[in-house]
Amino acid sequence: MFGEKVIELLKESERNRETLSPFNDEKIRQIIEEMHILFKLNMNDANATSENKSLWTTVQVRHSALERNKRCLLAYLYDRINKIKTLRWEFGSVLPPDIRELLSDSEYDWFSKYSTNLATFMRSLGQDIGYSGIDLTENLRPPKSLYIEVLCITDYGKLELEDGDVVMLKKNSRHFLPTSECQTLIRQGILKQIT
Amino acid sequence: MSYLSVTDILVSNEKVPCKFLHDLPKLGFLDPSCTDDDLKAGTSVEIPIWLAESLSSRRPPLVTVDLPKVYKETYREIFSADACTVDLHKLAQYFYELGCYVAKYDIKGEVSTTLVNTFRQRFKMILSASVATDSINALQPLSECERDHTAAAMTTEKALSSWLKRGESLLTTATMVANHRKRKRAEMEML
Repeated sequence: MFGEKVIELLKESERNRETLSPFNDEKIRQIIEEMHILFKLNMNDANATSENKSLWTTVQVRHSALERNKRCLLAYLYDRINKIKTLRWEFGSVLPPDIRELLSDSEYDWFSKYSTNLATFMRSLGQDIGYSGIDLTENLRPPKSLYIEVLCITDYGKLELEDGDVVMLKKNSRHFLPTSECQTLIRQGILKQIT
Repeated sequence: MSYLSVTDILVSNEKVPCKFLHDLPKLGFLDPSCTDDDLKAGTSVEIPIWLAESLSSRRPPLVTVDLPKVYKETYREIFSADACTVDLHKLAQYFYELGCYVAKYDIKGEVSTTLVNTFRQRFKMILSASVATDSINALQPLSECERDHTAAAMTTEKALSSWLKRGESLLTTATMVANHRKRKRAEMEML
């Protein structure tokens, strides 16, 4: 039956809607191979239709299968692109190495370009009123207070604050930090806000 | 539905019974019970709806599409009697979406009325599932898109109640980061 491999591929990405799975280049290679075979068979039969008219029907069936495979592959890539976009907003411009592994080379290229584009856009914001850009990935909720109490979840290392103080972020340590400084770290799951 | 929608692709992979109107040389493998290389005109085979749709829209059409059994008279009677007793998850995971596809092959137009009536009757199930404490049992008989609606209702409910409390809105970890963490932890425990 046609187009079964490609469905396996899509089911895989449908199962992990919230996370990115590794780029499945082996399966994609198999699918493209299947498409090449279909195309070749179709070429042969299309050339032979002058003698045997009934071959047209077969050619049409195979052609539908080719278009289907194309649609599914594109949908797979598009779905991943959307997830990679979310990566930029949630993990920041530098991906942790274990996430970096999940992307294919061209996807990583796309990620860096998207990242640069976004950064340029954010820098251009508010220039006419004298600001030098706004970081849109911050302040997703209105801040309630200037300082918040946070618990450190992983060993992060040193964090230098804007006023020059250096805080050592060790696992299970508690800190009282300016909201603006630790927002990004909370989003990245390094700190946790406690009340 | 959009060209790039993954759900739509999975829906259109569902099979429908079809009757071939022309001979198909070399495509005997489409029919598992056929031993010949060629598929003869007049054979009935179950093929995915994406293939059926593109073949029946050709001029002249290559196949005629028949309704899957869930949308036939017998099941329609069950749905009109009491749609809430049916376990759609077992019977037809993509009941509504596939219904939209096959409705155009139903000349009398009864499939589309069944779809609307079924959803109308089952709506209260979705509603009760979205506020249920025992959500696993309540979710069980729901079809795929009903589950999505329930999940959406739950998030909205939660968002509304937290807004009504006007409490401290805690800063939280981003969803994808959190999910990635969970997965990594599960992998670590397996090792």
